[in-house]
Amino acid sequence: MNPQPWRARLGRLTLILMATVFCVFPIYFMLVQSLKTAQEDVFGNPLIVRNPTLENFEDLFERKGSARGFVGSVLRRSYPFLDWLGNTLVVFTGAVALTLTLSVAAAYGLGRLRPPGFRWWRRVIFAAYIIPQTILFVPLYQVVNALGLDDNLLALMLIYPSMALPFCIWMLSAYFQHLPREIEEAAFIEGAGRAGAFFRIILPMSRPVLVAAGIFTLGTIASDLTIASLFLLSGQNQTIPAGIGTMEVALDELAAVAGINLLAIPVIAISALFARGYVRGLTAAMLEGS
Amino acid sequence: MVRVTMTRTRRQRDIRIAYLLLAPAVLLLLGVLAYPLGWEVWTSFTSLSPLQDGATAFVGLENYRRQFHDPQFWSAAAVTLVYTVVTSVAKLALGLGFALLLARPFPGRTLVFLAIFLPWAYPASVSVIGWYWTLNPPIPTAYAAFMGSVKYNVDSVAGGGAWAFISVALFNIWRGSSFIGVLLLAGINAIPPELFEYALLESKSPWRRFRAVTLPLLAPFLALGVFLSLTGAFADLANVWTLTAGRIVFPVLSTQAYWLAIHGGQFGPASALSLMLVPLLLGALLVLFRLFDGPEREPS
Repeated sequence: MNPQPWRARLGRLTLILMATVFCVFPIYFMLVQSLKTAQEDVFGNPLIVRNPTLENFEDLFERKGSARGFVGSVLRRSYPFLDWLGNTLVVFTGAVALTLTLSVAAAYGLGRLRPPGFRWWRRVIFAAYIIPQTILFVPLYQVVNALGLDDNLLALMLIYPSMALPFCIWMLSAYFQHLPREIEEAAFIEGAGRAGAFFRIILPMSRPVLVAAGIFTLGTIASDLTIASLFLLSGQNQTIPAGIGTMEVALDELAAVAGINLLAIPVIAISALFARGYVRGLTAAMLEGS
Repeated sequence: MVRVTMTRTRRQRDIRIAYLLLAPAVLLLLGVLAYPLGWEVWTSFTSLSPLQDGATAFVGLENYRRQFHDPQFWSAAAVTLVYTVVTSVAKLALGLGFALLLARPFPGRTLVFLAIFLPWAYPASVSVIGWYWTLNPPIPTAYAAFMGSVKYNVDSVAGGGAWAFISVALFNIWRGSSFIGVLLLAGINAIPPELFEYALLESKSPWRRFRAVTLPLLAPFLALGVFLSLTGAFADLANVWTLTAGRIVFPVLSTQAYWLAIHGGQFGPASALSLMLVPLLLGALLVLFRLFDGPEREPS
């Protein structure tokens, strides 16, 4: 292929630069705000930080109940951020683990064992996405109450998988369905049963698709604010999104931004670590499909 | 003969195991979604309200009929339509652009890929809080004066609350284009490179190559992106609605339903309203299934 003319290359470069700025700028902006002192937040340049400080992050970890000073004549209260952090960790880990386990089992059943009408099973499950979430929380609240899970982290661990399961089951079952039969047969000849072939051969080779399902699940449940705010009412029981939603933004804007970053950093780190696997998994799932 | 019976019993056993493996996921989905959905459908035919005394009456299709005579419903439906179309088209266009930019190698591609992956990976539950309060700043910050004047100018042209609505739409586009971009990149990676080389010999026009090779092969991924964009379009609005206790002034169907349920206590009409989109989404899904989950040839 001929080398591209310089004008085309310049155009491409500009587009790449624009796309990068479009994607990163809002995140950069939030990061910069969280590093600012209150003075600089009001009087400084909004786009840069001159005297970076971690005091907003430290603010979050102040002991419970202690007052953190005044703005005007209003007391700034402190928040149980450590509790929020622990709760978030528990809920996210639990929900992702549950989603992956259930979706791998269901997807293997549908894609590999292929009961009659397996494609329609898959489609009906996927169609769960058209159920309007709007006022679903009213009856959902009755379900949660009936289970005695009011204001309990377990409620979220049961509700969150329902948001990611349909996609994960669909993707994993498409992948399992397209694996050639010979892959398992080699193990059968060596005397392994279906379970043995699954754990020794299919599961290890599905790693990218499992990563894709896991990252999708994490991204989906980390985007929920509504359900967490509705079902976790007492301060100590909240997750970070629900907790930050209750903060007084007018008084604690900087601490809120710091809290946003504290949740984002681990989630982003995990996603970035597996980003390539995520793309590879999506590709693998759709490769022979359609 | 013996062999045939053996394979048949094995097949029977496989089917039983398949249902057994499927059961936990289906039970969880039914437990979380079936009762609430049934409740919503039933309630849409009744006059259920926590504010009213006396028994709940069955009113048939009255709640639906009433919506069609309500001008507020039509304005909410119009806003919903415009919001969905604008955000979906923008997400698909930007996402396709991102994917095409990333499809060819260039120095620093990994970093640009990560940058484009970030908006989706950044937890939306908190980024929407930061985004909303940045574009609608509550207190004097260094950027509040600028944002305040933007808000004032937009609102004075388009009506009060317009800027708050636009800022959520922008957020939805920002995050959604990242997701669709990565999804389409995965799609481009699934296209065998020989096809691109072959197309290069066939046609000099990049546009024709795109139309003839890339677009048809990306169709399943585009269909999936469209569907997830349609169903996910309203989650951000719901989040901001929760955050600001209903400060969104431009109602879409779902926020209108919230409003009816929480402030009016009218669960019947609210349920009817939120179910209105189901037939449309179901229709869209059935069409799109042909593209991304169609029947295939391999019998294996």
